[in-house]
Amino acid sequence: MYGGGNVFEAMKATALADEDPKKLAEFEARIDRGEKIEPTDWMPQLYRKQLIRMIEQHAHSEIIGALPEGTWITRAPGFKRKLALMAKVQDEVGHAQLLYAAAETLGKPREQMIDDLISGKSKYSNIFNYPAFTWADSCFISWLVDAGAIVNQLANSKGSYGPYCRALERICAEESFHLKYGHHCVIHLATGTKKQREMMQAAVNRWWAPMMHFFGPSDKISVHSEILMKWKVKMASNDECRQQFLDMYVPKIWELGLTIPDDKLRKNTETGLWEYTEPDWDEFKRVINGDGPCNKERLAVRRIAEERGKWVREALLAPKAKYVTPLA
Amino acid sequence: MLQSLDPRVNRLGLPNEFDTPMPSKEALDQFETYEAFVQVKEGKPFEHVGIVHAPNEEMAFLFAKEQYSRRGMFCNSLCVVKTENIKVSPYSENDIDIYDSFSGKYSGSTSESFEVFHLTKRGKQHKYEGNVLAKDYDDAILAAKESFPRDKAIMNVWIVKSEDIYVSDEEDRDIWDTLKEKKYRDAIDYKASDKIKAFKEEQA
Repeated sequence: MYGGGNVFEAMKATALADEDPKKLAEFEARIDRGEKIEPTDWMPQLYRKQLIRMIEQHAHSEIIGALPEGTWITRAPGFKRKLALMAKVQDEVGHAQLLYAAAETLGKPREQMIDDLISGKSKYSNIFNYPAFTWADSCFISWLVDAGAIVNQLANSKGSYGPYCRALERICAEESFHLKYGHHCVIHLATGTKKQREMMQAAVNRWWAPMMHFFGPSDKISVHSEILMKWKVKMASNDECRQQFLDMYVPKIWELGLTIPDDKLRKNTETGLWEYTEPDWDEFKRVINGDGPCNKERLAVRRIAEERGKWVREALLAPKAKYVTPLA
Repeated sequence: MLQSLDPRVNRLGLPNEFDTPMPSKEALDQFETYEAFVQVKEGKPFEHVGIVHAPNEEMAFLFAKEQYSRRGMFCNSLCVVKTENIKVSPYSENDIDIYDSFSGKYSGSTSESFEVFHLTKRGKQHKYEGNVLAKDYDDAILAAKESFPRDKAIMNVWIVKSEDIYVSDEEDRDIWDTLKEKKYRDAIDYKASDKIKAFKEEQA
């Protein structure tokens, strides 16, 4: 799972001025030929910086994204759902490991990435700053937030950076189970009793706005995004991803008799594009900057896990230590 | 105290605000890295799959098993090598054989055993090629140049001392056997089209 709408660092006009023009041309030619860039290749500073930022945000999103769903493992209805949700949450944490590893190949140590997450310097997908009130919220996340993530990840897996693409291929393979599992959960509720249907509908109502935020604000056409697209760091615009998501999933939501809380939502048959109420981007900015319902909790839980896990790491660092039977 | 919808988080008794920022992590707080290689099937070469962080090679093996041999990722055998123990050749462009850039002569020494991994195509991962005997890393590259016939240009070579490789034991093969029984971890276990169809008919 993963959040779209990456927050890329603003680019200075001089960012490329210091780069060697010959090396830059070779680098761009390689990307144009469809070849991957590998860690030992020359790359512009800007490419390295933006990729670290993007992959790191992705990794953090996997870790933090495991929290709202993890909440529901012990309360998932039935043994099978518990097993499946546990497997899914384990997958997400594994994805974070793969992604941290890919980011590390660009020269940022894992210690520093964890520091930056906990200090709030690095971001993660905004959608995880919202709480999962009921089991149906957890089902919504498993199906639709993962679906949104897959739209993004499939686009990014065609990108130019070798280690990131390889990590994404592994991740996408596992996501297919998440998506099917999530869909199965939602179908079960939506075709169930009146109370189950109401619970599912309430979750859709709660999560629709964050879901629309998920892909990020419309990207303005700028020199910046043009360069990122040319270098295949960014593979599709936020709006393209959002449109693709709506196209694939709105009909699937509707066929279950669920409604979507946006009376303007419709597909324009002439343009082939979905029309919708513009999401509240002020709220998006407010939440991403720390003032959402769960920002504090997510980071506090992450921090306490690091702090309380310290003794384990320290213990492992002394492989020659011996176990001594307690005396009394 | 921080209030959460999750009773488990409430039981942690987290403060609403921490008094101080968390101290920065020390270097190697996350341990060293090991490169992991997986053999998907009997007779196939080991292929590089990625890294794990671990305090020692046994733990690295365990983490690599968790990370790289999980469901859908079939595994017949796995090995790990501490990243710093891999000698990496320069990279060549796609159609040039990197071995061409090594000109010396192989000593013929058999004092130490090395394992050789080849990268044949940009964007792919290193594959195990074979074993050579030589006196050191540089000599091992020359030995590999002589030993392995090539019909395709090799882009990059990794050389590892055989003794630095931690590999799963043949007699521990059954550690890979539990993978297929967990149906609930596969997409195929979540068929629901009948349910949707029945629901639609009922609504109509």
